[in-house]
Amino acid sequence: MPQHRRLSSWSELLLKHAVANMPPKTLTLNDDPTKPLSHPVPTSFSGDLTSLLSDELLLLVFSFLPPPHLLSPASLVCRRWLHLAGRLRRRLTLLDWSFLHHRLPYRFSNLTDLDLLPASFVSPSFCTALLTRGTISVSLDIYADPPVGDAQFISCESISLGLETISSNFPNLRKLCTVAPTVSDSGLFAIANSCPILQELELHGCTDLALRPISVFENLQILRLVGSVEGLYSGPSVTDIGLTILAHGCKRIVELELSGCEGSYDGISAIGRCCAMLEELIISDHKMDNGWIAGLAFCGNLKTLRLQGCKRIDTDPGPEEHLGSCPAIESVQLQRCQIRDKRSLHALFMVCESAREIVFQNCWGLDDELFASAAICRRVKLLSLQSCSALTTQGLESIILSWPDLERLTVISCNNISDEELSPALSALFSSLKELKWRPDTKSMLSSSLNGTGMGKKGGRFFKRRILPGQQRLKVKPDERPS
Amino acid sequence: MITLTSSDGVQFDVREAVAKESQIIRDMIQDDCVITNIPLANVNHKILSIVLEYCQMHVDKTEMEVNASKHQTTTGEGSSSVPVALKVSSNKNLNDWDKEFINVDLDTLYDLILAANYLNISGLLNLTTQAAADIIKGKTTEEIRATFNIKNDFTPEEEAAIRKENPWAFE
Repeated sequence: MPQHRRLSSWSELLLKHAVANMPPKTLTLNDDPTKPLSHPVPTSFSGDLTSLLSDELLLLVFSFLPPPHLLSPASLVCRRWLHLAGRLRRRLTLLDWSFLHHRLPYRFSNLTDLDLLPASFVSPSFCTALLTRGTISVSLDIYADPPVGDAQFISCESISLGLETISSNFPNLRKLCTVAPTVSDSGLFAIANSCPILQELELHGCTDLALRPISVFENLQILRLVGSVEGLYSGPSVTDIGLTILAHGCKRIVELELSGCEGSYDGISAIGRCCAMLEELIISDHKMDNGWIAGLAFCGNLKTLRLQGCKRIDTDPGPEEHLGSCPAIESVQLQRCQIRDKRSLHALFMVCESAREIVFQNCWGLDDELFASAAICRRVKLLSLQSCSALTTQGLESIILSWPDLERLTVISCNNISDEELSPALSALFSSLKELKWRPDTKSMLSSSLNGTGMGKKGGRFFKRRILPGQQRLKVKPDERPS
Repeated sequence: MITLTSSDGVQFDVREAVAKESQIIRDMIQDDCVITNIPLANVNHKILSIVLEYCQMHVDKTEMEVNASKHQTTTGEGSSSVPVALKVSSNKNLNDWDKEFINVDLDTLYDLILAANYLNISGLLNLTTQAAADIIKGKTTEEIRATFNIKNDFTPEEEAAIRKENPWAFE
């Protein structure tokens, strides 16, 4: 760190001399008498005022600036400002791969959270459309066949090279999202070896082979594997082989998400046996073989199981006596899942028998009969239902009245549940709950969310205001007004 | 009482509590309790008087609050809302006072930042650096350069490249 030493006057120099020549007793008052003297205060100075400030002080000033302002006008002032402003940046999403090699380490030397995915797709030469899926936007090659669902990644070698550049420049990386290079794994090895505090890793286009370096990541706690994303890219994906490599390599993993992955009972049970610290398992849009659900019982410390966007759960879970159950499970959550099959839902609830929280969000096909399988869980304290329109009041009532521990209930946008059908028993239960969120029909939710906006009321006043003074003559009669 | 001597030899007699707003002086006094005269080689009398004004104000306000709360405990409860209101208003007053206090020219502001850093007065350091950030805020690159008299050491190509990569290469 360059210290900006500047002496403003001779008197100061003399004083410095005097301090240095003080009796030893006085000197011991201050541990290092020369240190505070290294920032002489200038009285009048015509030149670059900021050059008087040390890097630390200028960084302190910059830390009070809003990030967008820091990036654009402030970074462009001079080289020193560019460099210092770059040091304050922690998170970055890369959009252009060439920037990584040439400029990224020069401009931002202190990154801890890096997302390389958006830059990892090949941009077609004829780009006319942009496909956005979730947070990712990809340029589409409309002449490709098929145009959607088969986006190509840049070559494994470039990705590996890029990862090596990152590993040598950002040793403090904590979170990384990248495409997993299948052919050359030197990139991921380099990251694993040079970034010892990496905790969170997201691997897109992940395959079994790409998982070989995974055991070298010593402090990895959160891992997200994405084998394929519907509508964006398909891949060979991760199978039982990959899951077994993962199970033996990442024994200290706490949170695991398998998105668009294959696999079966063997892979899931291997993870359950080896990853003793696994607390949260998220399975998104899986392509796993029937019977995988029985492997969950091996996850001894699993607290949260979440299924997201699954078209099916497990159509053939096998005999009930072989299912077992997760002993530590607390919460089971189903989001945007298609639930059609009673056996699979039954098997899921058997495995999660001791769950205290059950959450259904936007689950297609959850009717009374399917919901009845939740009755196996006897310790439920919290039930949340959102946008499950097939469930009726009777179906809900018959189950929740059988749960003795129920404390919290949320019912939002479930159109077949209505206030009018509430039985006295259900009303009595509601009054004993600790927390109740009850907005079953979308109509009441709409009016509550429009409160204060002036919308959603009878058209009258809302439209009236928009008639300009000059158009008064054209005003229609109140009952003919659009509403 | 403690005597602080500025770099240009002017002596300031201040209460110990006021001097102790500075971490570095606090450390010195803790190390040796008989110390009464501290030479400050890096702060001239003009800046030191401003710094001491800040310290004095903040010490007074804190003591007033302590007294108010003591007063409350001795007189017993019943009027608990009054000291809270007093505290809020005194905080507001202090913030207003800070705002007014920091309304100085750029040279003085820089001297104050350096002095606050040297004397290690965290409140004053935050106040002054925040004020410097407020000056930068809302200005274009050219305006910032002009305000702080900073020389543009980028080549035109370099500056164009940075301007270009800002929106396209990352977010």
